[in-house]
Amino acid sequence: MSDIPLERGAVSVSTRRVGTRLPARVIVALICWLVIAIMAWPLVMSFLASFKPEAEVTAVPPDYLPHSFSLQSYLKVYGYQAGLPTYLFNSFMVAFLTIVFCLALAVPAGYGLARFHVPFKEVLFLVLLASMMIPYQALLTPLFLMFTKLGLTNNHVGLAIIHTILQLPFSVYVMRNAFEGIPRELEEAAIVDGCSPLQILGRIFMPLAMPGMVTVSLFAFIMSWNEFLAALIFMSKETAFTLPVLLTGVIDSFYGSVSWGPLQAGVVVSVIPCIAIYFLLQRYYVSGFLSGAVK
Amino acid sequence: MSHLELKNVSKSFGPVGVLHHVDIEVKDREFVVFVGPSGCGKSTLLRIIAGLEKATSGDVVLDGEVVNHLAAADRGLAMVFQSYALYPHMSVRQNLSFGLENTKTPRDKIEARVAEIARMLRIEELLERKPRQLSGGQRQRVAIGRAMVRRPGVFLLDEPLSNLDAELRVTMRAELAALHKRLDATMIYVTHDQTEAMTLADRIVVLRDGRVEQIGTPLELYNRPANRFVAGFIGAPHMNFLEGRFAGGEAGAARIELDGGHMLSLRIPVRPEGEPITIGVRPHHIETQGGQARIPATVTLVEALGPETVIHAEAEGQPRIVAALAGQRAITSGDTVSLALDERFLHAFDADGRRVTEGEVAEEM
Repeated sequence: MSDIPLERGAVSVSTRRVGTRLPARVIVALICWLVIAIMAWPLVMSFLASFKPEAEVTAVPPDYLPHSFSLQSYLKVYGYQAGLPTYLFNSFMVAFLTIVFCLALAVPAGYGLARFHVPFKEVLFLVLLASMMIPYQALLTPLFLMFTKLGLTNNHVGLAIIHTILQLPFSVYVMRNAFEGIPRELEEAAIVDGCSPLQILGRIFMPLAMPGMVTVSLFAFIMSWNEFLAALIFMSKETAFTLPVLLTGVIDSFYGSVSWGPLQAGVVVSVIPCIAIYFLLQRYYVSGFLSGAVK
Repeated sequence: MSHLELKNVSKSFGPVGVLHHVDIEVKDREFVVFVGPSGCGKSTLLRIIAGLEKATSGDVVLDGEVVNHLAAADRGLAMVFQSYALYPHMSVRQNLSFGLENTKTPRDKIEARVAEIARMLRIEELLERKPRQLSGGQRQRVAIGRAMVRRPGVFLLDEPLSNLDAELRVTMRAELAALHKRLDATMIYVTHDQTEAMTLADRIVVLRDGRVEQIGTPLELYNRPANRFVAGFIGAPHMNFLEGRFAGGEAGAARIELDGGHMLSLRIPVRPEGEPITIGVRPHHIETQGGQARIPATVTLVEALGPETVIHAEAEGQPRIVAALAGQRAITSGDTVSLALDERFLHAFDADGRRVTEGEVAEEM
């Protein structure tokens, strides 16, 4: 107990060796590369296609490698309707608010469930998780009617609330596990040191549950960033659209044909923030995921 | 002044009683050790004193004032936890100053106090490190420092040495004893290790199954254990218990026949013939030469420790007798020896485990 094993999982993963005999390692490496190749293929194709000129993108049969370099597709996405900066801003704003709402609710909820005696706590927790089983598409119509009355449509806050609802059960689950992993003696030491429950949360628990909070933020960001249906329904003004809505808009070309070039450019633009955030928080994310999993 | 009293304290978790009517008084500047096997309630008792746990009934009285409903932080106590419970995300300096910051102590005062404690505990060069960069002994010092910094009236220590290796434990034990003298503070220390209890305590409280078995100085407990449990718990190696029964005798000098047929004479009141009695004898009070009662026994194991030789032997009717013989002996496993019990230091316990020889056995000098 002398070592508080917050990062135990992360360490053991990074030092684990996969087979010491050469053939086994080669086979494992080949399998890994194969999986990576399959997963990366569409992304690479999108990336290459986004730099093709219009005519080349729609050519039949298609060519995999671009023959000439063009920013035409990007320019079209950039200038589409209210302009890419507006949509990027909307998406970022909604994702940011979703993260804020998720943390603001999931951190105290997780703390309460992990550390306080709440009557029927396990039942409450199960009910909370059970809400993940309801397809949210079924809720969108009543929610839309309600939000219209409240003036929350075409509004970053409104969409962020929807995204928070979708993401909250998972967030509470992660935060509860993160808080439960913190040794009770630390809490008691803080009590003896004169901390109130809120001070314990702020000064001891939250810094120690940082990996869990990062995990919650990351998942909230990615979900909100990619969410399409609610964004489409609740955002009806073109200045209020988020990126996924832009992507479906930008593919519409004349007479029902699909303009592949701008679509690929849009995909590339929308994927970059996700990748960037993931790389930035990767260390926390992995340890957070494991600390939640093994406790 | 820090005078602590526990009055008729009981604690149960649901239907399970953990502590039963515990009465303990801890005087100012006293070093009291709660000792007992795991699950005896000693840690729970400490936590009740600390205010981390509420007693089901009874009072915790600190300096004449009942503090049952006072929050842990307001009791003027400090606690050192078994796992040290250092805040892993804070440096040693932050760990030390955390408690003072919560009580809104002025910054310069905090710094002065932390510097003083660090000097006292020789951890000055560690102040900027994080707990995970410290060795076990250093963490232990920081944990004690964190308790000291608030100048508490009473220190509560919950098995603070149990995570250290044997060598370091001996060193830290000595440091702790020195610290107690220097701080002049009341200390309550929980351990399951009777050696720690014997070496550190002014007085020892022996607990079993949530009840106080005996309270006394280490030598009182060693010389006059109130019952068979205390007799077996205090002292290493453990006391031998030989089963037997009363076999007559005259007033104040009972004759006891041990299982196996050996006769002993004890200065205890005579009871009806045939009534069972247990004779307790410490391994250090058995010899292989001289003495009065001689029991032939076969040696099953010899532990040559250097300054003494511990032998385990089997006698008729007595399956296992341990003797600690002074010096080095030419005894090997399988030898037959004649065990002589020193009758001056025998203890007698009745069928309920209570001491029968109360007041009648010579003090060991």
